[in-house]
Parts: sequence; C-alpha cells; structure tokens
Amino acid sequence: MNEYDEKWEDRINALLDGELSAEDADLLKAEATDNRQLARAIVEAYQLQLAMDEIKVERAPDSLRKRLKAVPRQHRRTPVISFLQPRWAMALAAVPLVIIAVSMMRPETPSASEIAQARQDMAIAFAYLDKAGVITGREIESVVGHTMANAVTGSVNKAIQSQNLNSKEKEA
Amino acid sequence: MSKQYRQWVKEYQDQAWTVARYILKDEQEAEDATQEAFVKLWNKQDQIDPERIRPWLMKVTRNGCLDRLRRRRVNVEFDESYMAGEEVSGPMQGAAATETGVWLKRAIAGLKEPYRSLVVLRDVNQHSYEEVAGMLELNLAQVKTYLHRARKQLREQLAEVRP
Repeated sequence: MNEYDEKWEDRINALLDGELSAEDADLLKAEATDNRQLARAIVEAYQLQLAMDEIKVERAPDSLRKRLKAVPRQHRRTPVISFLQPRWAMALAAVPLVIIAVSMMRPETPSASEIAQARQDMAIAFAYLDKAGVITGREIESVVGHTMANAVTGSVNKAIQSQNLNSKEKEA
Repeated sequence: MSKQYRQWVKEYQDQAWTVARYILKDEQEAEDATQEAFVKLWNKQDQIDPERIRPWLMKVTRNGCLDRLRRRRVNVEFDESYMAGEEVSGPMQGAAATETGVWLKRAIAGLKEPYRSLVVLRDVNQHSYEEVAGMLELNLAQVKTYLHRARKQLREQLAEVRP
C-alpha cells in the first residue's frame, strides 16, 4: 500500500465515520468523478459498511450466562494481602521481636535435677566456707592472738551458719 | 459488590463473548475465555476504575484469547458450523441475517491480528476509537491506520464475491 493509497483510505474512512468536513467530502467526491479507482473504492467502502450493519453483537449462550452468574459463588474473593505493603512488612518484622520478648519474660522453672544439683553445690560451698573460716582463725591467732582471732572467725562463722540455716529452711 | 458484578455481567457479557468468539472461532473455548475474563473482573474489581470496566474487560478477554491461540501452537481450522453459514442456533441467531452477513463474519474471523480485533471492537462492538486504542495498547493513529487496512482487505474480498 503506497502513500497515496493511505491518504485515500484515511479520507474514505473519515467520510464513512462522518468525520470528514462537508468541504473535504465534496472535494473527495469531485476527485472521484475523475478517478474511477477512487470512485470504486468509495462505493465498496459503503457496501462494506452496509454489510457491517448486519453484524451485531452476538448474544452469549445460556450456558455461558449461567457460568458468569455463578462466578461469585464459585470464586470466593480473597482479600488483597500484599506483603510489600508497609503495615505487613512491619508486622512481619515484629514477629521475631515478640518471640524473643516473650521468651525473656517467661519465668524460669528449673527442673528437679537442677534443684538437686544446686542444693549439692550449696552444701559443698558452705562446708568449704566453714573450713576456710577455721583456717583463717588459726592464721590470725598465730599473728595477733586468740582473742582477736575469735572476734573475726566468730562473726564470719555466724554469717555462714545463718545463711546455711536460711537455705535449709527454704529447702524445707 | 456482587450486585455491581451482576450489572457488569448483564451489560458486557455479549460484547466479551463476541470478541472471544471471533478470535478463537471455537464456541467452547470462547466460553472458557469469557468466563476467565469475568473471574478476573470479580477478583480484581476493587482495583479497577469503575469508569474503565468495559475497556478493561475487553482487553483482558482479548489477551486471554490470544494466549489461548498461542498455546494452540498451530492454527486450527475455522469452526465450520460458525463460518459456513449453515443453520445456526442459540448464540448465533440473528447475528447475521443474510448471506453477505454470514460471509462477512467469516471474512472478519479470517483476518490476522490485530486487524481482526480492531474490526470486532470498533465495527461490531461499536467501541470508540479511543477505547479501542486503550484496549489494544496502540495510539489513535495506529488504530486508524490498522483499521483502514483491515477494512480495505474486507472491502476487496467483498468486491470479489459480489456479482
């Protein structure tokens, strides 16, 4: 299709679409009287338009009408949840934080074996402190005398014994 | 929302069906393609400008049909019951009353894309040039140029078959 043909086509279609001004339409018709090919193209275009008028939008078949009506029942709409939306991104980011916080807030509940082990450790520690107190008393006595030694070791032993008593009460 | 959907079905089902029917030339596949387009409309109705529902739906219907054509890989022959002008019933009733009308339907269906869609959308469904441009993602000048070529082809074919 050459450029000349394109120009014809534009004007013929504009004529049929009612978009050609009256002046341009007259010019085209005048040109067609001297140009048999153009005249024929215009006539054929009118014939095509008449034939087109016979063709209408087709009625959708009943089977399709039923299917389209059933769409809302058969296709439940899911709410749009875009994980790119800021509020969802924030919510997702908060999940691990919440898990950590909950785990930190949870009170420790030691097992029975852990409690038994702790008691044993404590008894050893107190026995060691008792022994250390006696040794310390001897060393002080050798340096500053018996009276001073009794004053120091006595207060230390009292403190140890009272702690030991407290822990036993708690265990009981 | 369901009420609005029903209204859209009522208004546009025939147009969408016509587009699918011309492009696919297969009644069952055209039904499937039209239904798919309406399912998408149902699912995405919140995201579509209500003023643009019709062009959106026609575009989605056409694109779905073209996808199906691509999947076929080979061009299937015309559905003869549709194209041969034999006794037609149901959806085809009244679509083309005369021999010329039946012939023209066959000729339109025989056009290549995008000419076929252009003729169906503009000359059969009577969408505006602007709407057609939006549906086919072409500019206005392209729509007119392609449509003119399509009409010229049809015109020449019509001249050949006419006494």
